[in-house]
Amino acid sequence: MSPSPPEPVFPRRDFLRAIPATGLAWGLGGLTGWTRVMAAGADELRRRNKACILLWMQGGPSQFETWSPKPEHENGGGTKAIDSAVPGIQLSENLPRLAATMRDLCLIRSVSSKEGSHPRATFLLHTGYLPVPTVKHPTLGALVAKELGDPEADLPGFVRIGRNRGSDGGGLLGVEYDPFLMTDPARLPENTALATTAPRYERRLRLLDKMDDQFAQQGARKEVADHRKLYGKAARLVTSPRMEAFDVNREPASVRDAYGRGEFANGCLLARRLVEAGVPCVEVGLGNWDTHEGNFDRSRQLCGQMDGPAAQLIADLKQRGLLDSTLVIWMGEFGRTPRVNPRVGRDHFPRAFSVALAGGGIRGGQVIGATDPSGSEVADRPVGVADLFRTFCHSLGLSADKENMSGIGRPIRVVDGGETIREAFAG
Amino acid sequence: MRLGFTHLRTLSITAVAPPLAIAFGLALAAAHLNPHVAAAADAISRVAVEVDRLLSREAAPVPALPANVLPANALPANALPANVLPANALPANASGAVVDDETFLRRVSLDLIGQPPTPEETTLFTLDTAPDKRAVVVDRLLADRRFGENWGRYWRDVIFYRRTEDRALAGSELCATYLAEQLNANVRWDRIATALVTAEGSVQENGATALFFAHRGEPEAVVAEATRIFNGIQISCAQCHDHPTDRWKRDEFHRMAAFFPRVAVRPNPMSGPLDLIVVATDIDPRFGARMPAMRVRGTLEHHMPDLKDPQAKGTLMQPVFFVTGQSVPVGTQDAMRRTTFATELTRRENPWFARALVNRLWAELVGEGFYEPIDDMGPDRQCSAPETLDRLSAAFVDSEHDVKQLFRIVTRTAAYQRPSRSRRGPDDAPFTANVATRLRGDQLFNQLAGLLGIVEPPAGAAPGPGGNNPAAALRRGPRFLFNQVFGYDPSNPREEEVGSVPQALVLMNSPLINAAISSRRGILASLLARIPQDDDLTMELYLRTLGREPNAAELAACRDLIKEVGDRGEAYEDILWSLINSTEFLHRK
Repeated sequence: MSPSPPEPVFPRRDFLRAIPATGLAWGLGGLTGWTRVMAAGADELRRRNKACILLWMQGGPSQFETWSPKPEHENGGGTKAIDSAVPGIQLSENLPRLAATMRDLCLIRSVSSKEGSHPRATFLLHTGYLPVPTVKHPTLGALVAKELGDPEADLPGFVRIGRNRGSDGGGLLGVEYDPFLMTDPARLPENTALATTAPRYERRLRLLDKMDDQFAQQGARKEVADHRKLYGKAARLVTSPRMEAFDVNREPASVRDAYGRGEFANGCLLARRLVEAGVPCVEVGLGNWDTHEGNFDRSRQLCGQMDGPAAQLIADLKQRGLLDSTLVIWMGEFGRTPRVNPRVGRDHFPRAFSVALAGGGIRGGQVIGATDPSGSEVADRPVGVADLFRTFCHSLGLSADKENMSGIGRPIRVVDGGETIREAFAG
Repeated sequence: MRLGFTHLRTLSITAVAPPLAIAFGLALAAAHLNPHVAAAADAISRVAVEVDRLLSREAAPVPALPANVLPANALPANALPANVLPANALPANASGAVVDDETFLRRVSLDLIGQPPTPEETTLFTLDTAPDKRAVVVDRLLADRRFGENWGRYWRDVIFYRRTEDRALAGSELCATYLAEQLNANVRWDRIATALVTAEGSVQENGATALFFAHRGEPEAVVAEATRIFNGIQISCAQCHDHPTDRWKRDEFHRMAAFFPRVAVRPNPMSGPLDLIVVATDIDPRFGARMPAMRVRGTLEHHMPDLKDPQAKGTLMQPVFFVTGQSVPVGTQDAMRRTTFATELTRRENPWFARALVNRLWAELVGEGFYEPIDDMGPDRQCSAPETLDRLSAAFVDSEHDVKQLFRIVTRTAAYQRPSRSRRGPDDAPFTANVATRLRGDQLFNQLAGLLGIVEPPAGAAPGPGGNNPAAALRRGPRFLFNQVFGYDPSNPREEEVGSVPQALVLMNSPLINAAISSRRGILASLLARIPQDDDLTMELYLRTLGREPNAAELAACRDLIKEVGDRGEAYEDILWSLINSTEFLHRK
C-alpha cells in the first residue's frame, strides 16, 4: 500500500506533557489546570491528533438485525428495514438513531473470514492474525498506543472498557501496551484511589526509595531502575490531575442523558473523555451477541443498549471537532447464519458479515460491498480481515508494512497482506 | 554472625516450636548416615565441580573455583555459625564468591518450592554448622510436595501461555495438578514428555491432554509446541516458508506435523458437548455431533498446503522426524504415529531432548541460559558454553532423565551459588554471577499469602456463578485472579519481564494489601503486641518479607521513620507497605 498522508507532528499529547503539571511528582491537587489548558489549546489540538475508538460487539452480532437487513427474504427473519438519513440506504429497524447518523457512517456489508470460534475470531479481528503458539501478535489498540501514544504520558495509551478481558494484548510489543482494563465505566479504574492520605503516600514512597537504594547497591541496579520507572509511572497516573478524565460523573446531566444511562452508554461517554484527554485508543465492549436462541428479541434488546450511545458518540465527537481525527470502528468477531435455527436463533457465520466505520477521514453516507439476496454469500467487493486492518492503519496514519520483531527475532508485519479499502475515504 | 544471633531474641519471642529444630537435625543426621546417599552426593558434587571448571574455561574469564571452596566441604564442622564463608576461602575476584546463607536459602526455596523460607527456617539454617547443609536443604525441598506444585504450575504456564484456544484454560489447573504428581513422584522426563504427546481421553480427567486441548488438536500447532517445549527448537517459521537462516525446510515441518493428523479434540459423546476428549480418528468419524469452531473431525493424513492455491488439498506428507530421520508410512494408525514421535522426541540419539530441559532449568536457576531465548536452540544458534551444556546433558541422560537429580547438580554448582547481579550487558562475560529474576505470579502469590495470611479456598469448595465446576471455582480464587495480573509466560526472555502498571497499582493501592498490613488486626497487630523493641520488630519484618535481616542503614532508615511518624503502628504499616512494594521483594536474587 502507499504511505498515508503525512501528519503534522505537534500532537496534543506533547502539548499536554508540556503543561506545567500542577502538583505532579507525588503531590495532589491542582485539578483546575487541565480544564483551562484544554479549553485554550483545544481548537488547535483537535485538528491534529489521531485516535481510535473500537466499539466491540462480543459474541458475533447478527448482520440481519443491524446493518444488513433482508426484509424481502425469508432469511431476514421478519426484521424490518428503515430508511436512513441517506437516500437508498436502509438499516434494520433496531437502529433508528444510527440510521439518522448515516451521513457519518460507512458500512461494509461484505466482510468475510473463515474463523467461527469465538476466542480465535476475537483474536483475529483484534490483531489481524489467527492465534499461533510462537508469535504473540499485538492487538490493534496496542499498535495504536505504540505508534500514536506518548511514552511519557501519565494516562495509559490503550484503555479497554467492559467485561471482556480478551487474550489479546501488547504481545510482542511488550506488556506496557497491554490494555488498561476497566470493568465498570461509571467507577474509577481499580486500585487507582490512594489507600492513604497524600503526605503519607509520599512518605511511604520515600522509604521505599531508601530500601531500593540498598538493593541497587547489592548489584540489582537494573532491576531497581526498572522498578522505579514503573512505580513512577503508576504514581504519576494515580496522582495525575488528568485522572478526572476517567470520571464520567463530571459530565453535566444533559450530556449524560444524551448518551443514555446504561453501562455501554457510560463506556461511550468515557471513551470520548479519554480521547479528549489524549488517550490514543479506547475499546468499549458490549457482550452477549451470541444469539443461538431468541435471536430477534435479544438483538433488539442489545441494539437498544447500543444504538443511542453509539450515535451520540459520533455526534458528540463531531460537535467537538474530534470526529475527523478519531476513527470509530463498530465490529464483532463474526456475523450470524442466514438460516434461522429451530430455537429462533442464528449461529456463527464468518462468511459474510458487516462492519461499520466513522470518522478518521472515512467518507460517511456510503455502503461498501453487498451480499446476495439471501445473505449467504458475498456478492460484491469481498473484504478480508487484512483489508480492514490496512484501512484502519490508513485512517490512523500507521504504516501497515512496518515490521516489529518477535521474541525470536522474526520480523512481523503490522498487517500481513490485504489492501486498503480506498473508496472508504473521502477525496 | 551477628545476624543469626540477634534474631534469636526475636525467635524466642515468636516462640519457634522446638520439634521443628529437632526434625531438622534428624533430617541432617539421616542424610549423613546413609552410605547410598553419601555416594550419590559424591557423584553430584563431581559433576557440579566439572561443570564449574568447564564453565570457567568456556564462558567466565575468572579463575575456576577450587573444589574446596564449595560450601559442601568449605566449612569445617566446628565453624562458628556463619552466613558467609571465611574470607580466606574466597578467591580474590568477587564474582567467584558464594552467596551468604540467608540469600541462598531464600533463592533455593523460591526456585524449588516456589515459596520463601519462614523466619524460623532462615535462622536455623544460618545457625546450622553442618558442612553439607546446602545439599541437605536441597534434598529436603525436593521431597516437599510443594516442589511438584511449583514446577507443575511452571509447566502449566509454559503450555498455556501459548494456547491458541482460550477455552483450554478450563484444563489448566488439571494439567498443573497432573504434572505436580508426576514431578513429585520423580517420573522420568522422557516418560512425562511421552505422556503429553500420546495422551487420550477426557480433558476433564486426564491432565496430560493439555497440549492437544490448548491447540484444539491442530497438528501444526501441536508439533510446533512439542518440539519447542521438549527439544528447544522452533520450527514453526518453516510452516509457511523455508527459513532463510535456519536449516529446517518447509516440507520438513509438514512431515513432522504428519505425525498428528489422526488426533482430534471432540465433544465427549458420553457426557455432552462441554466435556471434550482427545481421541484418535483412524476410522471414519462415528461421533456425528459437530461442534462449531472445534476441530472435531481429524483427517487421516496431513497435507502441506499449496501456498499459491490455499483452497487446494496440498501435498500428501509422510511422517518423518526431523532430527533422527525416523519415519512411518502413510496409512499408519494414530497410536503408532504418536508413539514413534514420542520415541524420537525423547531418545538418547536426539541430543536436543536433554539439552532443552538442561538449558531451561539452568536458565531458571542461574538466571541465564546457554541459549537465549531458552526455547530457540538448534544447530544454527549460538551457545555460550557448549561443552558445559554437553556435560550437564550427558549427566542428565546418564541419570535416565532424572529431573530431581538435575536440580541437585545445578544447585550444587558455584555458578548457581554466586551472589546475584543485574543481567549482564552483551559484551560482559556470562555466568560470573547469578541473575536476579522477577518472581512468577505463583511465587509472588505464595510469598504474599504466607506473609499476610491470605487463605486459599480449596478447589471447588465454593459453588458460585459458574456452578460446581472445579475449574470455574478455581478461576474465581485469589491465586487465579492474582496470576491474571502478575503471571507471565516463563518462556519469554526474562529481561523483558519488568512488571506492569496494573501490578504496581495492586501492590500500592489495592484494598486487599492495605487491609492486610493494618496495624489493628492481622499479622502486624500481633507482631506489634509481641515485639516491644523497634529494631527487633524491624528485623522480624525484614526476615518475613525479604528472608534476611536489615543492615545498619536500613535499621536507621526505619528508626528515623518511626520517629518522624510518632505513632508506632502507623510507622510499621508504612514500613511493611514499603517492604512489599520493594524491588527486592518482587525478585528472587
